[in-house]
Amino acid sequence: MRNVLRRVSKASGNLWQGLRAWCGDSAYESYLRSRAVRSVNCSPLSREEFYVQQLNRRYSRPNRCC
Amino acid sequence: MKKVLFSIVWVAVGTIGVAGLAAIALHRGEHLNATWFVVAAGCCYLVAYRLYSSFISAKLLALDDTRATPAERRDDGRDFVPTNKWVLLGHHFAAIAGPGPLVGPTLAAQFGYLPGTLWLIVGAVFGGCVQDFIILFCSIRRDGKSLGEMAREEVSKRGGFIAQLAVLAIMIILLGVVALVVVNALKSSPWATFTLAMSIPIALLLGLYLRFLRPGRVLEASAFGVALLVFVVVAGQWVADSPSWARIFTLSGVSLAFAIIIYGFAASALPVWLLLAPRDYLSAFIKVGATFSLAAGILLVHPEIQMPALTRFVDGTGPVFSGRIFPFCFITIACGAVSGFHALISSGTTPKMILRESHARPIGYGAMLMESFVGVMAMVAACSMTPGVFFAINSPASIVGATPEAAASTISGWGFPLSAGTMTGLAHAVGEHTLLNRAGGAPSLAVGMAQIFSSTIGGDRLLGIWYHFAIMFEALFILTVLDAGTRVGRFMVQELGGRVWKPFGRTSWMPGILLSSALIVGAWGYFLYQGVIDPLGGINSLWPLFGIANQLLAAVALVVATTILLKMGRTRWIWVTLVPMAWLITVTMTAGWQKIFHPDPRLGFLSYANAMAAQVAAGKIPVDKIAEAHRLIFNQRLDAVVTAVLALMILVLVVEALVQWTAILARRRVPVLHETPYQRTRWAPGTEGVSAGGDD
Repeated sequence: MRNVLRRVSKASGNLWQGLRAWCGDSAYESYLRSRAVRSVNCSPLSREEFYVQQLNRRYSRPNRCC
Repeated sequence: MKKVLFSIVWVAVGTIGVAGLAAIALHRGEHLNATWFVVAAGCCYLVAYRLYSSFISAKLLALDDTRATPAERRDDGRDFVPTNKWVLLGHHFAAIAGPGPLVGPTLAAQFGYLPGTLWLIVGAVFGGCVQDFIILFCSIRRDGKSLGEMAREEVSKRGGFIAQLAVLAIMIILLGVVALVVVNALKSSPWATFTLAMSIPIALLLGLYLRFLRPGRVLEASAFGVALLVFVVVAGQWVADSPSWARIFTLSGVSLAFAIIIYGFAASALPVWLLLAPRDYLSAFIKVGATFSLAAGILLVHPEIQMPALTRFVDGTGPVFSGRIFPFCFITIACGAVSGFHALISSGTTPKMILRESHARPIGYGAMLMESFVGVMAMVAACSMTPGVFFAINSPASIVGATPEAAASTISGWGFPLSAGTMTGLAHAVGEHTLLNRAGGAPSLAVGMAQIFSSTIGGDRLLGIWYHFAIMFEALFILTVLDAGTRVGRFMVQELGGRVWKPFGRTSWMPGILLSSALIVGAWGYFLYQGVIDPLGGINSLWPLFGIANQLLAAVALVVATTILLKMGRTRWIWVTLVPMAWLITVTMTAGWQKIFHPDPRLGFLSYANAMAAQVAAGKIPVDKIAEAHRLIFNQRLDAVVTAVLALMILVLVVEALVQWTAILARRRVPVLHETPYQRTRWAPGTEGVSAGGDD
């Protein structure tokens, strides 16, 4: 029973993370994580700066289809 | 043992799929159940994915998971982000699924359910999915380069330029047509107009929240926004019931067209975080939610298909749009089976986020199968209403008449029984004054969806709410395509203009922003206005034009894919892209020729213009209508020129490619591939990648 609960909890967690990733909710955390992995020296963008920059990049190329 | 079991399972799935297709194709007489459509499509997709996409992966593309993808080599946490396979599949599907697979099959239902359904399945399996998958692969091997860049490098410089121009032209036509679908859905409907109008302040509110209060917290903001949207759908009924408010939100086609043009300009020129992005978030959630709900609704209700397998309109005399089943069924279905526009997504964001080459199969091939399934569901929704009602909603007043009595008499005369009371009662049940003459596919799809949803929850009492929810869902994500497309078009215009005059190319220079926005909005706005004033409803002229443009872009993508495969030495398997390419070129050129030169004025642009000019010359047009007649003549000739230019551009590209293919096959030229050099992945097998957020 505990195993089942653990599995359900893990699956729900994955689903939640997937949903956050899909809609862009966790984009800033991913950005910070990616910087940490690559050991970038300059200071990171703030959450607000990152959000605006990300939107400007995304909507400058075809990203929605017919 | 495992192998035997595996074979038995797939033979069983294949057999069920064939049985489903046979039931759809051969059934006559009694009404057919929609479950057959779901079973046939589902099994065909499973078999195609398991066998055909696997064959393409192994033999044609030789996908290599030891090779580092652009997301690994150039990981910057912004554009190049290694992303979990399922999350990226969701991104890609949300990006490619637009109004096309909903509207196209709905319109094509005028031929009956059979031709459209078969093409949705066969076209996707052998055409659309192949195109998306191979272009995605090609772009991954080229650091995420766009279709235009790949055409320039692999085919010719001129080919790249043609692809770029074709994209811009197609975008303009696409935006004009989808805007027309919205206008026809909202015309004289205070409830629907209020709901959609309210989505603008809701989006602005979300934009401010996401920018200043809780930057980037998309989930919580979207949940709040979706709740507000549902509330305004309900509140729309109160507006429609109030004479003073209803008057404000009852707009004519021309007024709505200008309102949408102003909106498009604002969305393009305003900061993206304020209106465009929050609206896109709302649209993405509603789109995915409504699509899954429709699938669940069809499975629960399993409605009966009322439309015959083939109607009398296969001969080209259809009231929704004119033209025979070949080539116009294929042109009309467009995105649900093959969409050239997908090649822009497959060579845009997705290749920069893919973790492993093998993921290109579920994302490129699999996502297109899902889109095709959306098209099949739209077909089911459209065909589950009585044919008489379908034709009354989708036919222009000039053909069936503007009153319920006239429409009922005309449509019953075609052999589809309809009473005036049925149309009046249906309009009343969904909270509209009338449902007649709403060409464009959106209202009839909304009626079909509402009937399915209300059979699951709420019954007839909630039919009006469900209808307006469906209209809001369709209009919302059509407007998302419209504003995102206008902005991208603006960047393209600025890029092209910047070659002539440098300051114009600066995307932060306000006069440049305003001028380029005005140019792009003016261009699609012209097509929209032309559609609104067209006595044949606009869709008759513009949807085929859009379909031709879209399928031509798919042909461009397949020309590029074929060239790359030839250079890779895959001559033996070249039919995989060559056959759908040849088919698309045949279909689009035939349709283009007929749209320009066909002697029937309802079909041929030039004959319509000539017939109208003859009426003016003979004095048969009232004096106050002469200016309008001249505008119609000009518009038809303009459409003929646009079609001819598009066809010519693609022919030039095909000839350029043929010259190159001949040289490669005759060994007169050493094929040079422009792939990024091989670099071994540093990631261990089984690496999941970050569940990175990106472009949705």
